[in-house]
Amino acid sequence: MIELSNLSVVFGRGTPLEKQALSGLELKIEAGTFVTVIGSNGAGKSTMLGVLAGDVIPTSGRVVIGGRDVTRIATADRAKYVARVFQDPLTGSCGALTIEENLALAAARGRRRGLGLALGSIRRDEFRDRVAELKLGLENRMHDRMDLLSGGQRQALSLVMATLSGSEVLLLDEHTAALDPGMAEFVMELTQSLVDKHKLTTMMVTHSMRQALDYGSRTVMLHGGKVILDVVGESRKNLTIEDLIEMFRKARGGETLDDDALLVS
Amino acid sequence: MKLLTAAAFAALVFAQPALARDVTVDVTAIVEHPALDAVRDGVKDALGEAGFKVGENLTFNYESAQGNPGTAAQIARQFIGNGPDVIVPISTPSAQAVVSGTRDIPVVFSAVTDPVGAQLVKDLKAPGGNVTGLSDLSPIGDHIALIKEILPNVKTVGVLFNPGETNSVTLVELLKTLGAEQGIAVVESPATRSSEVQNAARALAGRVDAIYVPTDNTIVSALESAVAVAVESKLPLFTADTDSVSRGAVAALGFNYYDVGKQTGAIVVRILNGEKPGDIPVNVAAGTDLVINPGAAEKIGLELPKAVVDRATKVIK
Amino acid sequence: MSLIAFLGAVELGLVFAFVAIGVYLAFRILDFPDLTVDGSFPLGAAVAAVLIIAGWNPWLATAVAMVAGAAAGLVTATLNVKFRILNLLASILTMIALFSVNLRVMGRPNVALINQDTMLTPFYGLGLPDFYVRPLFIGVLAILAVFLVWRFLASDLGLAMRATGANPRMARAQGVKTSLHIYLGMALSNALVALGGSLFAQTNGFADVTSGVGTIVVGLAAVIIGETLFHSRLIIWALIGCVVGSVLYRIAIQLALSSDILGLKASDLNLVTAVLVAAALVLPRLRRGRAAA
Ligand SMILES: Nc1ncnc2c1ncn2[C@@H]1O[C@H](COP(=O)(O)OP(=O)(O)OP(=O)(O)O)[C@@H](O)[C@H]1O
Ligand SMILES: [Mg+2]
Repeated sequence: MIELSNLSVVFGRGTPLEKQALSGLELKIEAGTFVTVIGSNGAGKSTMLGVLAGDVIPTSGRVVIGGRDVTRIATADRAKYVARVFQDPLTGSCGALTIEENLALAAARGRRRGLGLALGSIRRDEFRDRVAELKLGLENRMHDRMDLLSGGQRQALSLVMATLSGSEVLLLDEHTAALDPGMAEFVMELTQSLVDKHKLTTMMVTHSMRQALDYGSRTVMLHGGKVILDVVGESRKNLTIEDLIEMFRKARGGETLDDDALLVS
Repeated sequence: MKLLTAAAFAALVFAQPALARDVTVDVTAIVEHPALDAVRDGVKDALGEAGFKVGENLTFNYESAQGNPGTAAQIARQFIGNGPDVIVPISTPSAQAVVSGTRDIPVVFSAVTDPVGAQLVKDLKAPGGNVTGLSDLSPIGDHIALIKEILPNVKTVGVLFNPGETNSVTLVELLKTLGAEQGIAVVESPATRSSEVQNAARALAGRVDAIYVPTDNTIVSALESAVAVAVESKLPLFTADTDSVSRGAVAALGFNYYDVGKQTGAIVVRILNGEKPGDIPVNVAAGTDLVINPGAAEKIGLELPKAVVDRATKVIK
Repeated sequence: MSLIAFLGAVELGLVFAFVAIGVYLAFRILDFPDLTVDGSFPLGAAVAAVLIIAGWNPWLATAVAMVAGAAAGLVTATLNVKFRILNLLASILTMIALFSVNLRVMGRPNVALINQDTMLTPFYGLGLPDFYVRPLFIGVLAILAVFLVWRFLASDLGLAMRATGANPRMARAQGVKTSLHIYLGMALSNALVALGGSLFAQTNGFADVTSGVGTIVVGLAAVIIGETLFHSRLIIWALIGCVVGSVLYRIAIQLALSSDILGLKASDLNLVTAVLVAAALVLPRLRRGRAAA
């Protein structure tokens, strides 16, 4: 369960560049729900995920994950509850480490890291099996450094890493944006199956209205650092992409969208 | 040519046994520096005068460690591996690197201020083993006497030195002890690199009656900054390094390092002639030069006593 | 080059192998350009020398020297992590401060160990000449250090340290406390450098405040030579490269000192070092260029 209450974030407070990224945001998500998050550039989507992950400390408000108040807890300390896949494939995995080392690093998330070998033979086999499930042939390249792989392969592995150590929450920030359409499709299918399998509470930020409606069971629209639309159940089922764009437009006070074409894709 | 042949003949006639064979002497110093280079040249010339000549019967190797003790260690191993007749390390770290590496090749160190403290020998009078040499402990007592002679009312003396140079620290300690006996207070002003010398000198202005600089490589290398401060605050500057007088010091009583080298060379010759290093006591180098600079004294309104001027070995004009 | 000179170069190379491994940990693993080593090398020498003279067991004295080195690394890490001073600057501050600290520790600029019992003393009497004993003894320690550091970097903790240096944002997202690993890595790195310093003092008979001059360059040169030679992405080869690189560096210098061979003098050493490091940096690029052609 995720609970964001009266959440505000102000960047560069007291400087000419002061920017209110979130203003009194309220959001409650039941455990195991897959929520898609949309909103125009600068709406505050990444900031919201940053607050959940611990990278951004809110100016005011409360962040509760699974009943624990984590508002002031550092990123590394709440990583055991929160897994994350970034937009940039280079950010989410470590290029200088091999595939299996990356997996070992993720598998130890939330555990005490000691002097035991990171890659014993049991763990090696386990990781190989997990990677084999991707059917990308990467199980034969477990000793290859991550920076030899393509962006799509890295995102797929990042997803596997996110599910290795039993986190409760999965945060996805436009994690298919840097991929070609085929690979994006593959990664989305993988996301869906992993979320189902591990019953993760998931928040996925996307600029694709189709993705926003096709995946998950609830869609939230942010604008000006607030939730301005929240649809679930029947009303969501009947929603078309065109409806969504219309709502988008209304939300912005009738402004026209330059990027309509993009949103439909 | 005739003369040379005659000299060679004479040398042969009075030949010591060592002359029958070729000898090798390896010399190393921690850094290239006028004083240390003068020691090296003195050693070479002393050997030459005793009939050991480069190109004839003497192989003379010299390496400087460029101020790096790691390199000094490597040079030491190089020399020990060569197995020369005598190794001559100049300065404390070079000497320590050589002495710790061999227990059989004769070692004659030079320009080491405190050979016992540096553990080169256990006893100055009877060194024992394969090591002997020459100390260049400055005659601090004579320095104080000279300062008192020139400035009869001196109460405090400021000393500029690098606390990172082992010789300087020994000398400053000695200066404080001997100064106290004479009723002179010593104010220390350290500079760890040449760029700090000016500030260190400024720190003394107004607090002392004179500035004194021991044989400190750092301060001597930046002596001009100290001179400038001394002139501007009308303080006489005394040094232990005689070359510094032509650079603006008022007076110096110090070793002529070429002479130190020749005395070191004389010890090397004794060993080449069959004496055991362990039987040769470690002495403090003998003979000092008094160099004065009446011009520099005049600049700060000081007149040098006639006795001092008469005694000077060298007067800078 | 005589056998003694050759073994002397090997010995000194092995002493500086600890420095190279420390530099590798800081520069390559943590991506932390650390100049503290110019101060922690003489610190290790100073602490070990002073304690040995005070009658301590040389092994214990060396252990304390390593702890002192670790403390120096922690100071740099604190300046960087807690007070947010740029890493290079933080390390320069510690390095400068250590000059005074080292003088305090020794009480004077140079402490002699020539007549003291060291870690090596018990091995001198076993029949082998000293100039064999020293490189053998230090070689065994170096092999041990390579193994332990390799094993550490292969552990969960070591993996987290590698991620900290390579991708700190990802590391934090994976629950790695990156600042903790900077502390840990800097402590480990400087402890190894101090061990090198302490061995230098014990094999050469003195500790001197000036013996830190250029430690970082020598360590870096060894790391780079090793990387060029082995050319492998595997940690173990990088670590072995540190040792081999350090020894080769010293042998190259010894060759330069055997002036009859190349006509070089000790005064050319700085140039030799610069050429070595530059060559090591350029060679891989040339090789890559040829492969591409
Ligand atoms: N670290 C920061 N410092 C200052 N301002 C920031 C910072 N991060 C974000 N902002 C600002 O806060 C606002 C919200 O940014 P955020 O990244 O959350 O938007 P977003 O909804 O993710 O947009 P996009 O769709 O472009 O990714 C923007 O105006 C942005 O410029
Ligand atoms: Mg964003």
